[in-house]
Amino acid sequence: MEERPRAVLLKFPGTNCDSETARALETVGFVTEMIPISALKQESIDGVSLVVLSGGFSYGDYVMAGRLAKLVTEQKIGETLRDFRDNGGYILGICNGFQILTQLGLLPEGSLVENTSGRYQCQWVSLENRAPESPFLSQLPESFEFPIAHAEGRLVTSEASIAEDYRANGAAALTYTEDVNGSFEQIAGLQDESGRVFGLMPHPERFLRRRDHYDPDWSGGEEGEEWGSGYYLFRSLYESVTSDEE
Amino acid sequence: MRETFEISDRYIDAGDANGLLYEPLDGGATFRATRRYEIEFDGDKKTLQAFIEKTLLDPISQKLHEGEDAALSDYTFVLEYGMKPGALDLEKEAILTYYKGIEEPSFELKELKIRQRIYLFGGKSDDSDRFVRDICNAAIHKWNVIQAG
Repeated sequence: MEERPRAVLLKFPGTNCDSETARALETVGFVTEMIPISALKQESIDGVSLVVLSGGFSYGDYVMAGRLAKLVTEQKIGETLRDFRDNGGYILGICNGFQILTQLGLLPEGSLVENTSGRYQCQWVSLENRAPESPFLSQLPESFEFPIAHAEGRLVTSEASIAEDYRANGAAALTYTEDVNGSFEQIAGLQDESGRVFGLMPHPERFLRRRDHYDPDWSGGEEGEEWGSGYYLFRSLYESVTSDEE
Repeated sequence: MRETFEISDRYIDAGDANGLLYEPLDGGATFRATRRYEIEFDGDKKTLQAFIEKTLLDPISQKLHEGEDAALSDYTFVLEYGMKPGALDLEKEAILTYYKGIEEPSFELKELKIRQRIYLFGGKSDDSDRFVRDICNAAIHKWNVIQAG
Protein backbone atom coordinates (compact mmCIF):
# COMPACT_ATOMS: atom_id res chain seq x y z
CA MET A 1 0.00 0.00 0.00
CA GLU A 2 1.28 3.46 -0.90
CA GLU A 3 2.40 5.45 2.13
CA ARG A 4 1.04 8.98 2.17
CA PRO A 5 3.40 11.82 3.12
CA ARG A 6 2.94 13.29 6.59
CA ALA A 7 2.37 16.93 7.37
CA VAL A 8 2.47 18.48 10.82
CA LEU A 9 0.53 21.67 11.55
CA LEU A 10 1.85 23.65 14.51
CA LYS A 11 -0.87 25.23 16.59
CA PHE A 12 -0.26 28.27 18.76
CA PRO A 13 -2.83 29.87 21.05
CA GLY A 14 -4.79 31.95 18.52
CA THR A 15 -4.05 29.88 15.41
CA ASN A 16 -7.42 29.49 13.73
CA CYS A 17 -6.91 28.35 10.12
CA ASP A 18 -5.41 24.95 10.89
CA SER A 19 -8.55 22.89 10.28
CA GLU A 20 -9.11 24.34 6.79
CA THR A 21 -5.42 23.95 6.00
CA ALA A 22 -5.41 20.34 7.20
CA ARG A 23 -8.48 19.67 5.05
CA ALA A 24 -6.71 21.13 2.01
CA LEU A 25 -3.59 19.04 2.65
CA GLU A 26 -5.61 15.86 3.10
CA THR A 27 -7.55 16.60 -0.08
CA VAL A 28 -4.34 16.50 -2.11
CA GLY A 29 -3.00 13.38 -0.37
CA PHE A 30 -1.18 14.26 2.86
CA VAL A 31 -1.79 12.68 6.24
CA THR A 32 -1.98 15.51 8.76
CA GLU A 33 -1.42 15.92 12.47
CA MET A 34 -1.97 19.09 14.50
CA ILE A 35 0.47 19.62 17.33
CA PRO A 36 -0.11 22.33 19.96
CA ILE A 37 3.09 24.25 20.57
CA SER A 38 2.93 23.26 24.23
CA ALA A 39 3.25 19.59 23.23
CA LEU A 40 5.90 20.12 20.55
CA LYS A 41 9.18 18.27 20.93
CA GLN A 42 12.17 18.02 18.62
CA GLU A 43 11.18 14.46 17.71
CA SER A 44 7.63 15.53 16.84
CA ILE A 45 8.68 16.11 13.26
CA ASP A 46 10.71 12.94 12.75
CA GLY A 47 9.55 11.26 9.55
CA VAL A 48 7.48 14.27 8.54
CA SER A 49 7.72 15.78 5.04
CA LEU A 50 6.03 19.10 5.66
CA VAL A 51 5.63 21.49 8.58
CA VAL A 52 2.87 24.07 8.26
CA LEU A 53 2.33 27.21 10.28
CA SER A 54 -1.28 28.14 9.61
CA GLY A 55 -3.04 31.47 9.72
CA GLY A 56 -4.59 33.10 12.75
CA PHE A 57 -3.54 35.44 15.52
CA SER A 58 -0.93 33.64 17.58
CA TYR A 59 -0.88 35.07 21.10
CA GLY A 60 -3.40 37.64 19.93
CA ASP A 61 -0.76 39.33 17.74
CA TYR A 62 0.32 40.89 21.03
CA VAL A 63 3.21 43.34 20.59
CA MET A 64 3.77 42.36 16.95
CA ALA A 65 2.37 39.53 14.84
CA GLY A 66 4.51 36.43 15.23
CA ARG A 67 6.83 37.87 17.90
CA LEU A 68 5.73 35.77 20.87
CA ALA A 69 5.31 32.67 18.70
CA LYS A 70 8.93 33.09 17.66
CA LEU A 71 10.17 33.21 21.26
CA VAL A 72 8.14 30.18 22.26
CA THR A 73 9.13 28.16 19.18
CA GLU A 74 12.83 28.92 19.60
CA GLN A 75 12.64 27.90 23.21
CA LYS A 76 10.74 24.69 22.51
CA ILE A 77 12.67 23.36 19.54
CA GLY A 78 15.63 25.67 18.92
CA GLU A 79 17.15 25.08 15.50
CA THR A 80 15.00 22.03 14.75
CA LEU A 81 13.04 23.68 11.92
CA ARG A 82 16.26 24.84 10.25
CA ASP A 83 17.70 21.34 10.50
CA PHE A 84 14.42 19.93 9.19
CA ARG A 85 14.71 22.12 6.10
CA ASP A 86 18.40 21.30 5.64
CA ASN A 87 17.50 17.61 5.71
CA GLY A 88 15.00 17.98 2.89
CA GLY A 89 11.82 18.96 4.73
CA TYR A 90 9.37 21.56 3.47
CA ILE A 91 7.98 24.44 5.54
CA LEU A 92 4.91 26.46 4.62
CA GLY A 93 3.72 29.56 6.47
CA ILE A 94 0.34 31.06 5.67
CA CYS A 95 -0.53 34.58 6.87
CA ASN A 96 0.35 34.49 10.58
CA GLY A 97 2.55 31.51 9.77
CA PHE A 98 4.41 33.69 7.26
CA GLN A 99 4.84 36.35 9.93
CA ILE A 100 6.26 33.74 12.32
CA LEU A 101 8.65 32.37 9.68
CA THR A 102 10.05 35.86 9.03
CA GLN A 103 10.53 36.37 12.78
CA LEU A 104 12.28 33.00 13.05
CA GLY A 105 14.69 33.99 10.28
CA LEU A 106 13.73 31.03 8.10
CA LEU A 107 13.03 33.29 5.13
CA PRO A 108 15.09 36.06 3.54
CA GLU A 109 15.20 39.26 5.58
CA GLY A 110 11.77 40.80 5.84
CA SER A 111 9.21 41.85 8.35
CA LEU A 112 5.43 42.13 8.13
CA VAL A 113 4.11 45.36 9.61
CA GLU A 114 0.81 47.19 9.74
CA ASN A 115 -0.87 47.79 6.38
CA THR A 116 -0.48 51.34 5.08
CA SER A 117 -4.27 51.63 5.30
CA GLY A 118 -3.92 51.20 9.09
CA ARG A 119 -6.81 48.75 8.88
CA TYR A 120 -7.47 45.03 8.84
CA GLN A 121 -8.04 44.14 5.17
CA CYS A 122 -10.23 41.24 4.12
CA GLN A 123 -10.58 41.00 0.33
CA TRP A 124 -9.69 39.00 -2.77
CA VAL A 125 -6.48 39.93 -4.57
CA SER A 126 -4.85 39.17 -7.89
CA LEU A 127 -1.43 37.58 -7.69
CA GLU A 128 1.47 36.94 -10.01
CA ASN A 129 3.34 33.65 -9.84
CA ARG A 130 6.96 34.71 -10.25
CA ALA A 131 8.50 31.32 -9.41
CA PRO A 132 6.76 28.67 -11.50
CA GLU A 133 9.58 26.26 -10.64
CA SER A 134 8.87 26.58 -6.91
CA PRO A 135 7.76 23.34 -5.20
CA PHE A 136 4.85 25.35 -3.83
CA LEU A 137 3.75 27.09 -7.05
CA SER A 138 4.62 24.75 -9.90
CA GLN A 139 1.02 23.89 -10.76
CA LEU A 140 -0.33 27.41 -10.50
CA PRO A 141 -0.78 29.63 -13.55
CA GLU A 142 1.05 32.90 -14.12
CA SER A 143 -1.75 34.86 -12.47
CA PHE A 144 -4.58 33.84 -10.15
CA GLU A 145 -6.62 35.04 -7.19
CA PHE A 146 -6.53 34.29 -3.46
CA PRO A 147 -8.25 35.98 -0.52
CA ILE A 148 -6.29 37.96 2.06
CA ALA A 149 -7.28 38.75 5.65
CA HIS A 150 -4.69 40.63 7.65
CA ALA A 151 -3.83 43.83 9.51
CA GLU A 152 -0.06 43.31 9.43
CA GLY A 153 0.73 42.14 5.92
CA ARG A 154 2.95 44.88 4.60
CA LEU A 155 6.31 43.30 3.82
CA VAL A 156 9.22 45.65 4.52
CA THR A 157 12.98 45.19 4.39
CA SER A 158 15.66 47.22 6.15
CA GLU A 159 16.49 48.91 2.82
CA ALA A 160 14.14 49.20 -0.14
CA SER A 161 16.87 47.89 -2.46
CA ILE A 162 16.75 44.50 -0.70
CA ALA A 163 13.13 44.02 -1.75
CA GLU A 164 14.07 45.06 -5.29
CA ASP A 165 16.72 42.34 -5.25
CA TYR A 166 14.06 39.83 -4.17
CA ARG A 167 12.20 40.50 -7.39
CA ALA A 168 15.38 40.03 -9.40
CA ASN A 169 16.67 36.89 -7.67
CA GLY A 170 13.38 35.03 -7.35
CA ALA A 171 12.95 35.25 -3.58
CA ALA A 172 9.76 37.23 -4.22
CA ALA A 173 7.94 34.16 -5.48
CA LEU A 174 4.51 35.74 -5.26
CA THR A 175 3.56 39.37 -5.82
CA TYR A 176 0.32 41.32 -5.82
CA THR A 177 -0.58 42.74 -9.22
CA GLU A 178 -1.41 46.07 -7.57
CA ASP A 179 -0.57 47.87 -4.35
CA VAL A 180 -2.77 46.17 -1.76
CA ASN A 181 -1.18 46.92 1.60
CA GLY A 182 2.01 48.91 0.96
CA SER A 183 4.30 45.86 0.70
CA PHE A 184 7.67 46.72 -0.77
CA GLU A 185 7.72 45.65 -4.41
CA GLN A 186 4.15 44.41 -3.87
CA ILE A 187 5.55 41.21 -2.37
CA ALA A 188 2.89 38.74 -1.20
CA GLY A 189 5.08 35.68 -0.66
CA LEU A 190 8.76 34.87 -0.12
CA GLN A 191 10.77 31.71 -0.57
CA ASP A 192 14.21 30.93 0.82
CA GLU A 193 17.25 30.02 -1.25
CA SER A 194 16.56 26.30 -0.99
CA GLY A 195 13.00 26.76 -2.24
CA ARG A 196 11.85 24.51 0.60
CA VAL A 197 10.55 27.29 2.84
CA PHE A 198 7.73 29.46 1.56
CA GLY A 199 5.54 32.00 3.27
CA LEU A 200 2.63 33.96 1.90
CA MET A 201 0.06 36.38 3.27
CA PRO A 202 -2.91 35.23 1.12
CA HIS A 203 -4.93 32.19 2.17
CA PRO A 204 -4.81 29.34 -0.39
CA GLU A 205 -6.83 27.08 1.92
CA ARG A 206 -9.81 29.39 1.53
CA PHE A 207 -9.95 28.82 -2.22
CA LEU A 208 -9.71 25.06 -2.34
CA ARG A 209 -12.79 24.54 -4.50
CA ARG A 210 -14.17 26.57 -7.33
CA ARG A 211 -17.33 27.24 -5.30
CA ASP A 212 -15.21 29.03 -2.65
CA HIS A 213 -14.72 31.98 -5.01
CA TYR A 214 -16.71 35.04 -3.96
CA ASP A 215 -18.12 35.42 -7.46
CA PRO A 216 -20.55 32.57 -8.32
CA ASP A 217 -20.00 33.39 -12.00
CA TRP A 218 -16.22 33.28 -11.72
CA SER A 219 -14.86 32.42 -15.15
CA GLY A 220 -11.31 31.44 -14.17
CA GLY A 221 -10.01 27.90 -14.46
CA GLU A 222 -11.15 25.21 -16.83
CA GLU A 223 -14.81 24.74 -17.72
CA GLY A 224 -16.48 22.32 -15.30
CA GLU A 225 -13.42 22.14 -13.08
CA GLU A 226 -14.01 21.41 -9.40
CA TRP A 227 -10.91 23.01 -7.91
CA GLY A 228 -9.94 26.54 -7.02
CA SER A 229 -6.43 27.96 -7.24
CA GLY A 230 -5.59 27.05 -3.65
CA TYR A 231 -5.89 23.38 -4.51
CA TYR A 232 -3.04 23.74 -6.99
CA LEU A 233 -0.70 25.23 -4.39
CA PHE A 234 -1.21 22.22 -2.12
CA ARG A 235 -1.11 19.86 -5.09
CA SER A 236 2.23 21.36 -6.20
CA LEU A 237 3.58 20.67 -2.77
CA TYR A 238 2.30 17.12 -2.73
CA GLU A 239 3.90 16.42 -6.12
CA SER A 240 7.21 17.87 -4.93
CA VAL A 241 7.22 15.86 -1.71
CA THR A 242 6.29 12.58 -3.39
CA SER A 243 8.76 13.04 -6.24
CA ASP A 244 11.52 13.62 -3.63
CA GLU A 245 10.54 10.38 -1.91
CA GLU A 246 10.59 8.28 -5.08
CA MET B 1 21.72 48.41 37.76
CA ARG B 2 18.87 49.79 35.74
CA GLU B 3 18.53 50.22 31.97
CA THR B 4 15.67 51.66 29.93
CA PHE B 5 14.93 50.75 26.34
CA GLU B 6 12.20 52.12 24.08
CA ILE B 7 11.23 50.58 20.76
CA SER B 8 9.59 52.55 17.95
CA ASP B 9 8.50 51.59 14.45
CA ARG B 10 10.46 52.67 11.40
CA TYR B 11 7.74 52.22 8.84
CA ILE B 12 4.47 53.06 10.58
CA ASP B 13 3.46 56.68 10.13
CA ALA B 14 1.62 58.67 12.76
CA GLY B 15 -2.04 57.60 12.77
CA ASP B 16 -5.24 59.54 13.33
CA ALA B 17 -5.61 59.97 17.09
CA ASN B 18 -9.39 59.87 16.79
CA GLY B 19 -9.02 56.17 16.12
CA LEU B 20 -8.15 55.74 19.81
CA LEU B 21 -11.19 57.58 21.11
CA TYR B 22 -14.91 56.96 21.32
CA GLU B 23 -15.68 60.55 20.29
CA PRO B 24 -13.49 62.49 17.86
CA LEU B 25 -11.37 65.46 18.92
CA ASP B 26 -11.58 68.86 17.31
CA GLY B 27 -8.64 69.26 14.95
CA GLY B 28 -6.24 66.80 13.40
CA ALA B 29 -4.19 65.25 16.20
CA THR B 30 -2.06 62.22 15.36
CA PHE B 31 -0.31 59.61 17.47
CA ARG B 32 2.54 57.14 17.44
CA ALA B 33 2.93 54.15 19.74
CA THR B 34 6.14 52.79 21.25
CA ARG B 35 6.99 50.20 23.90
CA ARG B 36 9.25 51.00 26.82
CA TYR B 37 11.12 48.43 28.91
CA GLU B 38 12.65 49.24 32.31
CA ILE B 39 15.02 46.54 33.46
CA GLU B 40 16.69 45.99 36.82
CA PHE B 41 19.60 43.64 36.44
CA ASP B 42 22.96 42.50 37.77
CA GLY B 43 25.81 41.35 35.60
CA ASP B 44 27.06 41.92 32.10
CA LYS B 45 25.41 44.85 30.35
CA LYS B 46 26.54 43.76 26.87
CA THR B 47 24.84 40.41 27.26
CA LEU B 48 21.70 42.15 28.49
CA GLN B 49 21.77 44.40 25.42
CA ALA B 50 22.12 41.36 23.15
CA PHE B 51 19.22 39.69 24.96
CA ILE B 52 17.06 42.79 24.50
CA GLU B 53 17.87 42.99 20.81
CA LYS B 54 17.04 39.32 20.33
CA THR B 55 13.83 39.19 22.33
CA LEU B 56 12.31 42.66 22.03
CA LEU B 57 13.45 44.16 18.78
CA ASP B 58 12.57 43.47 15.18
CA PRO B 59 15.74 44.97 13.64
CA ILE B 60 14.15 45.33 10.23
CA SER B 61 11.08 47.35 11.09
CA GLN B 62 11.93 48.86 14.48
CA LYS B 63 14.44 51.15 16.17
CA LEU B 64 15.90 50.72 19.65
CA HIS B 65 16.33 53.80 21.81
CA GLU B 66 18.41 53.40 24.95
CA GLY B 67 18.08 55.71 27.95
CA GLU B 68 15.54 57.49 30.11
CA ASP B 69 14.68 60.25 27.66
CA ALA B 70 11.75 59.93 25.26
CA ALA B 71 12.36 58.17 21.95
CA LEU B 72 10.20 60.67 20.05
CA SER B 73 10.08 64.46 20.19
CA ASP B 74 7.71 67.36 19.45
CA TYR B 75 4.78 65.70 21.15
CA THR B 76 1.95 67.41 23.04
CA PHE B 77 1.84 64.72 25.71
CA VAL B 78 2.66 61.08 26.25
CA LEU B 79 0.29 58.58 27.79
CA GLU B 80 2.26 55.74 29.30
CA TYR B 81 0.43 52.69 30.60
CA GLY B 82 1.08 49.09 31.48
CA MET B 83 -0.32 46.13 33.34
CA LYS B 84 -0.73 46.30 37.12
CA PRO B 85 1.46 43.93 39.11
CA GLY B 86 -0.38 40.62 39.22
CA ALA B 87 -2.30 41.18 35.97
CA LEU B 88 -1.28 38.78 33.21
CA ASP B 89 1.10 40.35 30.71
CA LEU B 90 1.67 37.88 27.88
CA GLU B 91 4.76 39.64 26.60
CA LYS B 92 6.37 39.77 30.03
CA GLU B 93 5.62 36.10 30.59
CA ALA B 94 7.17 35.19 27.22
CA ILE B 95 10.29 37.27 27.88
CA LEU B 96 10.80 35.87 31.37
CA THR B 97 10.22 32.31 30.20
CA TYR B 98 12.73 32.83 27.40
CA TYR B 99 15.22 34.27 29.89
CA LYS B 100 14.78 31.32 32.25
CA GLY B 101 15.53 28.97 29.35
CA ILE B 102 18.96 30.51 28.70
CA GLU B 103 21.87 28.52 30.07
CA GLU B 104 24.32 30.74 31.95
CA PRO B 105 22.87 34.09 30.83
CA SER B 106 25.75 36.24 32.26
CA PHE B 107 23.25 38.61 33.83
CA GLU B 108 20.44 38.34 36.32
CA LEU B 109 17.13 39.83 35.28
CA LYS B 110 15.73 41.12 38.56
CA GLU B 111 12.77 43.16 37.43
CA LEU B 112 11.08 43.99 34.14
CA LYS B 113 8.52 46.74 33.66
CA ILE B 114 6.80 47.02 30.31
CA ARG B 115 4.92 50.14 29.30
CA GLN B 116 3.04 51.10 26.15
CA ARG B 117 3.55 54.74 25.18
CA ILE B 118 1.16 56.81 23.11
CA TYR B 119 2.72 60.03 21.83
CA LEU B 120 0.14 62.62 20.83
CA PHE B 121 1.08 65.20 18.22
CA GLY B 122 -1.13 68.26 17.80
CA GLY B 123 -4.25 68.60 19.92
CA LYS B 124 -4.23 70.12 23.41
CA SER B 125 -2.59 69.00 26.60
CA ASP B 126 -6.04 68.94 28.26
CA ASP B 127 -7.07 66.17 25.86
CA SER B 128 -5.00 63.69 27.85
CA ASP B 129 -7.94 62.97 30.19
CA ARG B 130 -9.98 61.67 27.31
CA PHE B 131 -7.20 59.40 26.14
CA VAL B 132 -6.79 58.02 29.65
CA ARG B 133 -10.54 57.44 29.92
CA ASP B 134 -10.83 55.66 26.55
CA ILE B 135 -7.58 53.67 26.50
CA CYS B 136 -6.81 52.71 30.09
CA ASN B 137 -8.72 50.21 32.17
CA ALA B 138 -8.43 50.91 35.87
CA ALA B 139 -8.99 47.24 36.67
CA ILE B 140 -5.76 46.12 34.99
CA HIS B 141 -3.68 49.17 34.05
CA LYS B 142 -1.43 51.66 35.77
CA TRP B 143 -0.71 54.86 33.84
CA ASN B 144 0.79 58.31 33.89
CA VAL B 145 0.76 61.28 31.55
CA ILE B 146 3.88 63.21 30.62
CA GLN B 147 3.18 66.69 29.33
CA ALA B 148 5.60 68.31 26.91
CA GLY B 149 8.36 70.53 28.27
